[in-house]
Amino acid sequence: MNKNIFAHDEWKRREHMAVRECVGYYLFTHQLMEVTGEDVGRFLDYVYPNNIATLAVGRDRYTTMLNEAGEIIDDVVVMRLEEDRYWVSTLYGTKADDWFYYHSENFDVDTSEITEDWHMFAVQGPKSKEVLNSILSNGVEDLKFFQNRKDEIDGMEVIVNRGGFTGEKFGYEIYCSADDTDAVQEIIDKAVKDAGGREVTEFQVFAWTLPTEAGFYYMRDLNHTNPFEVGLDKNINWDKEFIGKEALLKVKENGPEREMVGFEVTDENEDFYIRSKQYGGPGEPVYLDGEEIGRVSKLVYSYVKNVNNGYILAKKGSLHIGDKIKIHGYDCVITEKNWL
Amino acid sequence: MHILNRIREVDMNKKIDGRIPQNSGDGAGFKTFNAVQSPWNKLMSYKDALHYASRFEAVLSAAVAQAYRIIIPDYATRASEMCKEAYARLYQTGINYPNDDGFGIHPFMCGSYPGALIGDKGDDALLMCGRCQDFGTYRCEKELDVCDWDICCSELCRATTMSLQGQADATESRHRKGHKLDYLMVEAKGCGDRHCRIIAESREKYPAPEHELWQSFGPAVSDEYKKYSEEEDCVDESMMFREECDYHFVNGTNNETDSSNQMVNLSTAASLYLLPAIDNAVKLGYTTAENAEWIKKCVLEAAGKALFGERYAIKACRDWLGVPNEIKEDGRLLGGVIEMLLQSLVCGYETEAFNENEVIYVINRGDLAITGTQSLCEAHLYMWQGMVKTLVNAQWSVWEEDSPKGKMRIKIAKKIDKFM
Repeated sequence: MNKNIFAHDEWKRREHMAVRECVGYYLFTHQLMEVTGEDVGRFLDYVYPNNIATLAVGRDRYTTMLNEAGEIIDDVVVMRLEEDRYWVSTLYGTKADDWFYYHSENFDVDTSEITEDWHMFAVQGPKSKEVLNSILSNGVEDLKFFQNRKDEIDGMEVIVNRGGFTGEKFGYEIYCSADDTDAVQEIIDKAVKDAGGREVTEFQVFAWTLPTEAGFYYMRDLNHTNPFEVGLDKNINWDKEFIGKEALLKVKENGPEREMVGFEVTDENEDFYIRSKQYGGPGEPVYLDGEEIGRVSKLVYSYVKNVNNGYILAKKGSLHIGDKIKIHGYDCVITEKNWL
Repeated sequence: MHILNRIREVDMNKKIDGRIPQNSGDGAGFKTFNAVQSPWNKLMSYKDALHYASRFEAVLSAAVAQAYRIIIPDYATRASEMCKEAYARLYQTGINYPNDDGFGIHPFMCGSYPGALIGDKGDDALLMCGRCQDFGTYRCEKELDVCDWDICCSELCRATTMSLQGQADATESRHRKGHKLDYLMVEAKGCGDRHCRIIAESREKYPAPEHELWQSFGPAVSDEYKKYSEEEDCVDESMMFREECDYHFVNGTNNETDSSNQMVNLSTAASLYLLPAIDNAVKLGYTTAENAEWIKKCVLEAAGKALFGERYAIKACRDWLGVPNEIKEDGRLLGGVIEMLLQSLVCGYETEAFNENEVIYVINRGDLAITGTQSLCEAHLYMWQGMVKTLVNAQWSVWEEDSPKGKMRIKIAKKIDKFM
């Protein structure tokens, strides 16, 4: 029998639980697009379905990006740094660059990728506020969720943003210039360790296990879904024009055909074999009465609940919380998509 | 069409299996759903063409591997030189042509684990289908069910692992300091295993003694986490030719590639590893350039003859090409085979003559020299010379003659040579 790659890995468990119980930090540099110009708000409102132009300076917004078919091709955080200056934090930089270029013809905007100029450290967990207050000149005492502002660490200019990818009430992101990265990391590292925390180094922890416990998505989870199927339709502004609106309106009228649900593996055999899309490729088919009603999107591990957990993209209404099903012959149960 | 295919993913009461989308091929500048065509109008889909090209080139590569074995008889020395050459060259390729965005390598992915994303995509492109079983900072695992190169030699399995290591190390150099992974091929179809299995592991987390490059076969320290796919879960077709991913390769970071992309970006074991290894052996003084060429010629001609040594192979080939009964034994038979291959490789060529007395092609050398390996053109010529002897008969030969610059003008005709 082969061991479960999450359950017995104390390294991953330590890093994961540091964030849940204390504080953890990690380099989490995304691709950054800077968008400026007179029409920047109007342009971003066209590219993204959620409201962007109404953002106050110093605030952020999470939004999907859709193609003309209404399918999600990216999900991003847009930060308004100044009146006509926005940052878009994405993991789809190359495509975003092209996408912006091809859709900016009727707008007075400049877009540029500035990824190489900035690094970002995520500091997450219950003691993250204490850590940030100990290293920033102004601290984060009054910083609201999805608020960003300039600050300093030991004389080095940084942008601090409250938010993150862990579901923690207190979580922050520190943007620093590429030249200051080593010095900033040294200071964060010491402060985090002084607070009893640690550096999170495992990709599977900061990209998969922590976000999944909070019901968040990463790249492939959203691939070719639409916002209604994955619960990201709440803040769409239907009163404006945006790419994908026409197709998405049809989905809205007819209702989504699929939905993302949570599940846990309850089988006694920990050497189960269930494919999931986070590694790429197809997910394991999920059958009900001989009919394939979905595919496993993600299957990772909750160190808080000590169970293998994940998502299934299923035919709408076919699976309900508490349903016991077999996936590839292994016992599973349908759950909420949140383990915190 | 795309949406329909995805809905199909859910609606599995389907009575019609998923099909290759009709717009496949657009991305490579093909006419929609392009087919390869024999001189007698027998059509072969580009999917089959890609498989054919891959298999033929694997057979040619297997022959080149034997030439390399003759040049450096000792296994350890041969494997070691091949691994060093592959590592150095692919490391440099990674440095000179960085493509992190193209592989879906994110800026926060420090260390050498993102190299696994390069290998994952490369496998699928080469029809080496399987699945990623683990992808993390300290451990990655990829399992393959199919590898056309498994007929070549186990030294190649070692060298491909080291080329991946080279690419991974080059990727690492572009990011902030991270954790180095040791890439090991712990199972290899070229060694008779059911799967190829690469496990990459960090020595910080999974300590082990250092090893030479060519000894990159494991065992892995983290073997207890290995995920083995049973026979019923194995696949025989790449993702890009399977409906589950809408006929695309899709990795975990949403790197999506259409199958047509691979048709124009094929690489082969001979072009990428074996011929460069022979060139390197010459450079290192294991043999002379002339002798290396002689050995390649002998081995490849023999391999070509063996392809059609049995009458049933000739019958099958004629049927595959759609050769009419009235065409008996002449050079057009080999011409048809060559044309199918050249089209499958998306290699430009012109037909100067095609009749019962002679067949002449003017082939674009740059296209046939896959991945820029010029000697691959001659390797094909040697093989064709062998093939014509058994596919047609011993009166016929293939040779190069009056080639314009950048072209290889080959002639298939009867020829008497007392020293042949």
